[in-house]
Amino acid sequence: MKTKSQVQINKEWDIVGARQMGRELAKEMGFGTVDQARIATAISELARNIYLYADKGAVTFEIEEDLNKKGLKIIASDQGPGIADLSKVMEDGYSTSGGLGAGLPGVKRLMDYFDIVSEPESGTTITTIKWVR
Amino acid sequence: MNLEIEVMENDEKQQVKLTGEIDAYTAPKLKEALLPLTKMGNTTVVVDLEQVNYMDSTGLGVFISALKSTKEYGSELRLVALQGRVQRLFEITGLDSVLNIDSTVRGGK
Amino acid sequence: MEPLDVKNYRSLLKKYIDSEDETSLYQADQFSKLSIQQNISPEEIINVHIQALQELYPNLPKEIDLSMNFLLETMISYGLAYQEFQSLREKQGEIESELSVAANMQDTLLSTTKPEISGFDIGAISVPAHQMNGDYHHFVIDSSKNLGIAIADVIGKGVPAALAMSMIKYSLDSFPDSLRTPDVILENLNRVVERNVDTSMFITMFYGLLNPESGLLQFSSAGHEPGFYYCAKSDEFHEIKTKGIVLGVSESATYEQFDIQMEVGDMVVLLTDGVTECRVGDRFIEPDEMLDVIRKYMHLPAQEAVDLVYRHFERLQDFHLRDDFTLIFLKK
Repeated sequence: MKTKSQVQINKEWDIVGARQMGRELAKEMGFGTVDQARIATAISELARNIYLYADKGAVTFEIEEDLNKKGLKIIASDQGPGIADLSKVMEDGYSTSGGLGAGLPGVKRLMDYFDIVSEPESGTTITTIKWVR
Repeated sequence: MNLEIEVMENDEKQQVKLTGEIDAYTAPKLKEALLPLTKMGNTTVVVDLEQVNYMDSTGLGVFISALKSTKEYGSELRLVALQGRVQRLFEITGLDSVLNIDSTVRGGK
Repeated sequence: MEPLDVKNYRSLLKKYIDSEDETSLYQADQFSKLSIQQNISPEEIINVHIQALQELYPNLPKEIDLSMNFLLETMISYGLAYQEFQSLREKQGEIESELSVAANMQDTLLSTTKPEISGFDIGAISVPAHQMNGDYHHFVIDSSKNLGIAIADVIGKGVPAALAMSMIKYSLDSFPDSLRTPDVILENLNRVVERNVDTSMFITMFYGLLNPESGLLQFSSAGHEPGFYYCAKSDEFHEIKTKGIVLGVSESATYEQFDIQMEVGDMVVLLTDGVTECRVGDRFIEPDEMLDVIRKYMHLPAQEAVDLVYRHFERLQDFHLRDDFTLIFLKK
């Protein structure tokens, strides 16, 4: 069975709400302190991107259960401008620009699984998973 | 090493006053400031080099680009008040024969 | 020591807290270096610290625990920045090694053999300021046994300059012997450069043609830094006066040809602006100072002499060249 919860991101305050929900789920699932902090930081980056560059969007949490492992899946989706050059955004060094997508390489490092789909003018969906160690 | 670029517009002239050194580090900044002026068309761009005590060959490259651009847009480029070393560089390279250079004019008055 | 082993860290921490000794601090230093080598991020170290602390002092006030968690959270982004820095450093290493392959290739492409000509002694040195050399010199002997000497400087440095130089070299090689007088060579090269190279890039070149039998040196210059002629009879240096515009600016440029009759004991000095624009502290060396240095070594065999002049200037500039340095001595 999958547990699903969602936080809408409209204002800066919602970033904190998303972090909090993510952290509580992570704690319940048995993530250690360091991983909890990593998950919260990843959520911050994802939610900030939505808040700064897309009119609206949401962060969705799902508990993934595989045969022998358990993980927290975080999906950030928006209907914003989209990212034209994904390889550019995923390059190290881009994060200093502070522009759209900055910090995504960091999210990839913080999480165990990372996937991004983006269409210019129609929005971006980023799917990430962290497995309980 | 630094270069200050001061642009003043008066009559049909664009006065550009440079202070400092023109080298590989400052040349891109000079190019960025100078090229748009040359593209305005029907104008004279006067570059005052009195306060430039050092220029290397990268600086020559910038002025050659600017010259080609002024020709394209029907403008004119003049370099004034060149100091010893800078003047010598234009003479050695033969670029004094294609650029409008006046080393006697002080401050473009 | 195993990094991130909580047990080890705990005993190290305990030892320090009990004795406040320098040895433990030194071991902490080693621990930190080892962690960096193994890509351990700062938040993980803090986490080990928190665990060790809780095991050693189970009854610490809650405020301490919370503050340690707070510290851990604030270190996450530092950890990320550090990892990004590591990955950029690896990338930089890749770029540097690619560049050094390119520099080696340039050396091979632009290599020239210093010829042995009876009655003359030739020395040549060319040292790039960075990896790629924007200076170029070339010797060629034509079918009538005349020696052609080219010395050139590309305006604009680094990789683009090196690419432009390869073009020059292959154009030079492709001119037939019948077109080998300096004025004609420069006129032809000018057209090649004008057509092919970006407007802000141009090349200065001195081209000389020596008849070793007669000692007559004919030459033309395309805006190149003037060389010097040492006349043994008067024991004086003279600047080699030429006139001609740099290659690549004016489509229809032509070049005047000059000549010097070399006598025994005379010497021609060819150079690039990396030699004349040598900076000592805040000032440039004066031409006379440079000639004094040349005079000091010129009695030596030509190759030894140019090497020693280079060493002299290298030391004068604190072993940090600002510009590519090329120097040629041609002694009769």
